[in-house]
Amino acid sequence: MVSERVLIIVPAFNEGRVISRLVKELRTLYPKYDVLVINDGSVDATPREAQEAGATVVTLPYNLGIGGAVGTGLRIADEENYDVALQIDGDGQHDPAFLKDVLNPVLNGQLDLSIGSRFLSRESAFKSTFLRRIGIRFFSGLLGLMTGVRLSDPTSGFRAVSKTLIPYFARYYPVDFPEPEAIQMANRFGAKIGEVPVKMRKRLGGISSIRYFSVLYYMAKVTFAILIDVLKKKK
Amino acid sequence: MQARTFAILIAVAIMISVIELIRREKMTFKYSCLWLVASAVVLFFAFSPHVLRQVSEVAGFVLPSNFVFFLLLTFFVFLSLFLTIYINEQNNRTDSLAQSIAMLEYKIHKKS
Repeated sequence: MVSERVLIIVPAFNEGRVISRLVKELRTLYPKYDVLVINDGSVDATPREAQEAGATVVTLPYNLGIGGAVGTGLRIADEENYDVALQIDGDGQHDPAFLKDVLNPVLNGQLDLSIGSRFLSRESAFKSTFLRRIGIRFFSGLLGLMTGVRLSDPTSGFRAVSKTLIPYFARYYPVDFPEPEAIQMANRFGAKIGEVPVKMRKRLGGISSIRYFSVLYYMAKVTFAILIDVLKKKK
Repeated sequence: MQARTFAILIAVAIMISVIELIRREKMTFKYSCLWLVASAVVLFFAFSPHVLRQVSEVAGFVLPSNFVFFLLLTFFVFLSLFLTIYINEQNNRTDSLAQSIAMLEYKIHKKS
C-alpha cells in the first residue's frame, strides 16, 4: 500500500496559549502527516508557538476568518498534491486522538467528505451551547433536504476531504460560516459524505468564531447560500 | 402603464440579476443583502399602495410619490456611505498586502 500524503490544516487566530500543545499532540500521534498552521492574522505569539512546536506556519497578512484560513490550507493542499486534507480547529476543541477516525473513511475511499460529529458518540465531554444546538438542528434538516444525507453535526469543522474534492474547494471555499455550505457544495460535486463519532473538548483558548448575537444573521446567510448553491453549476 | 407596474418590473429584474450573480459566484451574499432587501421593500410597497400612502402620511409627506423619491435618495446616500467604507477597507488591505510582498522579498534576500 502506497503511503498517502495527508495535510493537517490548523486554522488559528490568537490561539497562542493552546496552539503549542495541540501541534505537539499532532506531531506525536501522527508523525507521518504534515501539520500546517494557518496563522489568520494573529496578534499574539501564535506563529512562533506553532513553529517551535514543529508545525509549518503560513501567516495571512490580515484576518480572513475561518473560511479564508481553511481555504488557504486547501489551496496549499491542492498545489502540493496532497491525497487528503484534514481540518482541525486551532483552539483545541477537536481531540486529536480522533483524527484517525475522521481520516480513515477518506483513506479507504469510502467517503470524500468525512465529518467528525460530537453527537454520535453516546458520551461526549462537551456538546456545545443551547443556541448553537438549535442552529445545528436547523442546518441538519436543511442539508438533509438538499443533499439527502442526514448529518448530526453539519457545523463541525473537524473534517477530512479527499483528493477529488480538494481542487474544487481550493478554487472556491465559502467565507464566514463555511461548514454547512461546504457540505452542499460537496454534494453538488457528487461527493460521498458521511460522519464519524468524535469527542470534543470545551474550547480551551481564544474566542468563538461565531459571535453570539450574529447567529441569526449567519443562519439566514448560510440558508440562503445553501439554497442558491443548489442552482450552481455541477462542474 | 402605472408607475407601480414599472417599479415591480425593475425590482424583480434586480432580484433576478442579483441571484444570478450569486449563482455565478460573481457576488457573495453579504454584498447582495442591500440590493435584495431594497428590492423586497419596493415590491412590498408596490403591492400594498394603501400601506405606502399611510406610511408617507405618518412620515409627513403630502404626496406618496415624494416619499418614494425620498426613500430612493436615502438609499443612495447610504449606498455611497457603505461603498466609501468598503473602499477604505480595500485600500487598507491592499497596502497591507504590498507590505507583505516587500517582507517576502526581504526574507528571500536573506535566505539567498
